[in-house]
Amino acid sequence: MNLPLPLIILITIFCLAGTGLYCLLITRNLIKVVIALQLMVKGAVLAFILAGNLNGQMNTAQTLALTVIVADTIVAVVGLALAVQIRLRTGSLDIKSLSSLKR
Amino acid sequence: MTIAMIAVMIGVPWLGALIVWLVGDSREKLQHWLAVIFSVVAGAASIVLIPSATSETVVKIPMGGTFGDFTFVPDGLGVFLSVIATVIGCLAVIFSTSYMKGEASLGRYYAFVLFFIGAMVGLVLTSNLLLIFFFWEITAICSYALIAFHNDDPKAVRGGIKALIITSVGGVGLLAGALVIFAYTGSYDINAFIGAAGTIPANILSLLAFGFLIAAAAKSAQFPFQTWLPDAMEAPSPISALIHAATMVNAGVYLLARTFPAFQNVPYWREAVMVVGSLSAILAAVMALTANDLKRVLAYSTVSQLGYMVYAIGAGSVFASQFHLFSHSIFKALLFLGAGAVIHSIGTRDMMEMGGVGKKLPLVKWVFIIGSLALAGLPVLNGFWSKELILEAGFKGGPTWLYVLMVIVAGLTALYTARCVWLVFFGEPRTDYHAHPVGLSMKVVLIPLALAALVSWTAVGPFSELLGSHTLPYHNIERTSLAEIFHEILTLPTLITLIVIALGILLWFMRSRLEGLINGLRSIRWASEKSFGFEALNTAFVEVTENIAEALRGTQTGILNWNVLAIAASLIVLFVVVVVGG
Amino acid sequence: MNATLLFQSLIILPFMAAVIIYLVGRISLRQEKDWGFSVARAIAVFALLVEGCLLYFAVKEALQSGGIYLEVGEISLMLDGIGLLLIAVVLFLGLMVTLFSVDYMAGEKGEEKFYALLLSTIGSIIGLGLSFDLFNLWIWFEAMAVSTFLLVAFYNDQPPSLEAGIKYLVQSAVGSALVLFGIALIFSQAGSTSFAVIWQAASLNSSLMLIGGILLIVGFGVKTALVPLHTWLPDAHSQAPSGISAMLSGVVIEAGMIAMLRSLSFMGRVQFNWGAVLLAFGCLNILVGNLLALRQTEVKRLLAYSSLAHVGYMLVGFGIGFWYGQANGAGGGFFHLMTHSLMKGLAFLAAGALLYALHLKNDEHVPLTLSDLNGASRKYPLVAFALSVALLALGGLPPLAGFMSKWQILLAGASARNTLMIIVIIFVGLNSVLSLGYYAPIINRLYRRETSSAVEKGKPIPVMMVVPLLVLVLALVVIGLWPASMEFFTSRATASLLYPFFY
Repeated sequence: MNLPLPLIILITIFCLAGTGLYCLLITRNLIKVVIALQLMVKGAVLAFILAGNLNGQMNTAQTLALTVIVADTIVAVVGLALAVQIRLRTGSLDIKSLSSLKR
Repeated sequence: MTIAMIAVMIGVPWLGALIVWLVGDSREKLQHWLAVIFSVVAGAASIVLIPSATSETVVKIPMGGTFGDFTFVPDGLGVFLSVIATVIGCLAVIFSTSYMKGEASLGRYYAFVLFFIGAMVGLVLTSNLLLIFFFWEITAICSYALIAFHNDDPKAVRGGIKALIITSVGGVGLLAGALVIFAYTGSYDINAFIGAAGTIPANILSLLAFGFLIAAAAKSAQFPFQTWLPDAMEAPSPISALIHAATMVNAGVYLLARTFPAFQNVPYWREAVMVVGSLSAILAAVMALTANDLKRVLAYSTVSQLGYMVYAIGAGSVFASQFHLFSHSIFKALLFLGAGAVIHSIGTRDMMEMGGVGKKLPLVKWVFIIGSLALAGLPVLNGFWSKELILEAGFKGGPTWLYVLMVIVAGLTALYTARCVWLVFFGEPRTDYHAHPVGLSMKVVLIPLALAALVSWTAVGPFSELLGSHTLPYHNIERTSLAEIFHEILTLPTLITLIVIALGILLWFMRSRLEGLINGLRSIRWASEKSFGFEALNTAFVEVTENIAEALRGTQTGILNWNVLAIAASLIVLFVVVVVGG
Repeated sequence: MNATLLFQSLIILPFMAAVIIYLVGRISLRQEKDWGFSVARAIAVFALLVEGCLLYFAVKEALQSGGIYLEVGEISLMLDGIGLLLIAVVLFLGLMVTLFSVDYMAGEKGEEKFYALLLSTIGSIIGLGLSFDLFNLWIWFEAMAVSTFLLVAFYNDQPPSLEAGIKYLVQSAVGSALVLFGIALIFSQAGSTSFAVIWQAASLNSSLMLIGGILLIVGFGVKTALVPLHTWLPDAHSQAPSGISAMLSGVVIEAGMIAMLRSLSFMGRVQFNWGAVLLAFGCLNILVGNLLALRQTEVKRLLAYSSLAHVGYMLVGFGIGFWYGQANGAGGGFFHLMTHSLMKGLAFLAAGALLYALHLKNDEHVPLTLSDLNGASRKYPLVAFALSVALLALGGLPPLAGFMSKWQILLAGASARNTLMIIVIIFVGLNSVLSLGYYAPIINRLYRRETSSAVEKGKPIPVMMVVPLLVLVLALVVIGLWPASMEFFTSRATASLLYPFFY
């Protein structure tokens, strides 16, 4: 295929974000939820790079992208830590068992 | 000096509320004394203020553009109502020292009563619409807190919340009106609004007129908002006398009276006001006839008499309505306090369990009879003069069929009053009750009120001057002397009304011979006991809201996937809106 | 003091204090003594007070020189009206919560981490208020989010807390991802994430900016608890320690709203009715929040749902401000932000004090239910009074602060002189009355003579917990009687918000 690079990246972004969102809607495992979140954010990171490419501010875009990766890693760590605690206290990582707070 | 008096009338009760609350419930006697002192000081200040009534703004506290200037104007209408609020307030407080003896949480009781008195004075003395609404809502809180004073009684709590909600729903009319007035005239000053009413676009003026009517109807328990007042009778009797007879329920009538010059030309407004007033009058009169709870009869009677006042305003005579407000405050407070003495002594509110109370409590019997005669509108008592003035005004200013209806209501009033007095004070006791003696402070309060019911009408001259053009520039109320009143009232229509009233009383005593008729009207009796469907409406409203709320709870599923779906869905909806919106 | 230095210390101080507290805590744990906790508490309070002083000096400086603006590389920071308002609110509420938590969190596992996290939350919110750059805004937003994740799940041995924490985390992260996409779109059109540049670049047909703005609304909206993005809120606010519930309802969701408003205010030239969107969300929030709160039986959950309604009031105000240019709309929104932080803060702290006395002190980790409140005024008169004042204020009743802020918002609606706005006014007014339907019964329960079994077994409430409650009550009454007192903050914030939008 001889598609222009930005278009390929755009399609990749949609795939990543879409997959992430889809997994969030479907999955029942907490770890998969965290992974799905990571997918979405990586899509966003790519979006930054694409934006930087399109408007010529590549340096800024790269800085932004790196910062996002760092920030998001922290969120993922916290999320996984909570998942570990949940596994410890309730013995399960299933979302359905995590629905005691409702109505 | 005027400023000082106003500050005393609002500030002293409010300060008193704080102090009595802080004194603590362990020092009951001190609380009683302090409450009496604070309320008497406020009452004295209001009487001192009477000669200084003026239409000038005497207090002006600037608060910046959004909130207007906090202004106070001691004009005739305001001063008159503040006298009623503070004087009947202090009488109610004095009565409470006996009625509430030994009750728990007295600090809370007196604090809210004093807070209420100050707020009522503020309500009628201010000319800033924001402050009118401010004090309006404060009186609503105090009324709620005092109705639900016995928090452990679910009926009392329900009654309190019902009163709060219904009057607040009506209050939205006042809220919207005040805001729109500011938006169109640039000021919250009600007198400026009345003067500039001609410059406001007609549809906006209609909105304001009907919005204020809704607010007034809700506050004064008029049709279709009358259901809260009978349930508010769970409050201690001094509260029923003060708040739900003499002062707060008059706030609606006050609002209509004050804004009448601005709205009198709005199409259909006067007609609507008259219809609201007369419907309330007749519905409540019928319901009073079938009620067995002594305070409920008086509550319905209040709704009915307020209906007269509202009717008078619609017919164009603000003076007649205020004069009746004057008489009504006195005799209704008298009746409620008398009822309170009976209830406190006997221990029940059900008239069917009473009978022959007059033998045990002769003083209460006599003052209650005086109050009832005033309510029924018999000559010489203040109720007669003011009610006749209203009927005169209605005859001249409104449709004849409404006038006839109001005369019939006068007859019904006499009928239910006679029934009430008879069932309670005369005949033989229907149950074995024990009558505790009536406390001294109760007697001390009842006697002046009875005397006032006999003679207050003679003050019509100075009263009309107080409300005259000197203090209420837009209202065109002229000084009316006693002689003029005699002349106006001692005419044929009055005679007809008197005959109808006599007929009403007579009907009660002939009831055994009218068995057939009473049986025939059984269906009306049933409808009246069910408050003509209004209670059912209220309950339906509440249930529908609660069911919707309960159903909505289902959206909080607790499952993460659904939560994320909600986020995704909102995003999609917004995108669609953007695309479609173009 | 030099303006730049003031600025930098304003941001850095809370984080430094947080780090010190954490270290102090670890050291004292190593030594197996607990002097660390009292030192931690002292440092927290001290840091907040110093921060307050720094703010005072910064404001004086800003008033003199007409605003402080700082650029550090690509990042722009500015102390303007919005930032000032947010920082003032977060510092005041933060101080009250810290004082309250001194006794509330005493003896909890990991207590020093609580103060460290609390300070870092406050620091992030301060940073959020000061940032003048879209990406910087997102960074502080994330920092605030991470700190609050850990605080919500603070009781990490209780499954409900963990459940609330993970749900909050996931939804917040989804929101953040959406914000990132929005930033990327705006960045691609504007060439920089600085607000000044975005403002210049916004023009009538910037469709990418429009989509970016929508993504920002939804993304920040998750944190602001717009309906239907709110589902994390009842769980998080009811499971967090009560001081944190107060912070969450009082400041954190408002910080999300400020982030959203800030971003939107620079996109005024884009052809889209931002105000209408905010207004629509606002009305939805008010209705759904009130209805959902009506049938709740747990106190903190009820208060959480009522926060939805109050965010709705603020959004209605801001919506009217953006749509019709009514300064009172934005002014009322900001005023309600301030009064809501006080009222909801007081409500959560008072409920928290009762939860502490009735359950936590008896080692029961159960939620506080409405029936537990029966007769609470007999044993805890001051706390019951404080809770009643908070509830009446939340219901919008005079003479308390909530009335005045709602008034200002509704005034803006009337000033728009528009039939739709009058309908909105009546809708909002009726909803305010509806809210009384669930606030008033609570007050009645408090003042019953017959006490619940929980109240009978309840332990006394320490004085240090009651002091912040009384301070907040006083604040509510004073503002209620003197509404113009907060104009210093709200008028400046309104100017900062609406000026870029309309020019």
